[in-house]
Amino acid sequence: MIGIANIGIYIPEEKISNLDLLEKFDVSVEFITEKIGVLHRARKQPEQKASDLCIKAFEDLKSKESINLEDIECCVVVTQNPNFNIPHVSAIVHGELGLSEECASFDISLGCSGYVYALSIVMAFMQANGMTKGLLFTADPYSDIIDEDDKNTALIFGDAGTVSLLDTEATLVPLGFDFGSRGSGYKGLMNKDKLYMNGRAVFSFTATVVPPSIRKLLDKYGISKESIDCWYFHQGSKYIVDTITQRLELDENKVVFDMYEYGNTVSSSIPLLLSNDIESFQTGQKIVLSGFGVGLSWASAVFQK
Amino acid sequence: MSDISKEQILDVIEKAKVVNNIHELDASVLFSEQDIDSLDVSGMLLSIEEAFGVEIPDEDIDGLLTINDILGYVNNKIK
Repeated sequence: MIGIANIGIYIPEEKISNLDLLEKFDVSVEFITEKIGVLHRARKQPEQKASDLCIKAFEDLKSKESINLEDIECCVVVTQNPNFNIPHVSAIVHGELGLSEECASFDISLGCSGYVYALSIVMAFMQANGMTKGLLFTADPYSDIIDEDDKNTALIFGDAGTVSLLDTEATLVPLGFDFGSRGSGYKGLMNKDKLYMNGRAVFSFTATVVPPSIRKLLDKYGISKESIDCWYFHQGSKYIVDTITQRLELDENKVVFDMYEYGNTVSSSIPLLLSNDIESFQTGQKIVLSGFGVGLSWASAVFQK
Repeated sequence: MSDISKEQILDVIEKAKVVNNIHELDASVLFSEQDIDSLDVSGMLLSIEEAFGVEIPDEDIDGLLTINDILGYVNNKIK
């Protein structure tokens, strides 16, 4: 079975401090730390594009895994801020990495739900076509579209890139997925020259659809909430992670939260968290991943070591 | 349907664990003057929407600055 073998990451070195913006946005330190959960936002260099974040993440993966580029059979990038409209970012990454011409390359246009959606899509694609090794990148540099004077978004988003090696010799294999969409709410989070987010609408959406999605997923596969060892929610903000945790009545010690030093990195948020833990999971341990946001859309999954 | 009381509103917010010590707040004082921030207000309004089956559109929230504002608004809605 195809699963996640390892994860490489890239977090840009430049960090923008939210503590320098307290006066500008009339917010307190407590609001920044306890509600937003972001002290510093990672910021790519202006000339860096999505493909550059992917390449950097791959360099990290290569430091952890011996990878023969000739063996890579698919190269997928999750992004909604590509280098260009045409071609797809994965084509650029394919060329820069020197991957085989036998390798399939395509992008997936999704935001914060993108990693979990993409895991299902790419694993199924690989399985259906007899592939054994693939690269799944996430790279959505929101710094290119943020209005730095918009309190709703300027304190939250950071840049990062990740790459997951999907392999038949996997560390984490999927037990099941749940997906959903609420297209009627698309205006709550969109790029109209600059990013616009209706914070209240996105919060209400997330608080009301994610817990039921996870309950439905666990019920479908006969998995108890108590048997989940770790919960990896999209790091939208501390407030939303705390809200989901509270609504699901979870042991907060099992809910991973780690966005203080880089921010909400969109589809990279979940793989960034996973990269810290992937080499320490014990056989039989189960984890839940749940991404939600742009679309509005959501995807949840249970994986097992 | 009889009017919803202030206690009912506060109980809903307390049960949702949105704001600590909600019963100690002054119902006539602005949220912003009682360390209740915009995210807390979003959480409060969601819990009220769910508990009382009312929808609070974005265009109405500018006028919901105190507990008394919310109480009056919800009772108006359910009539």
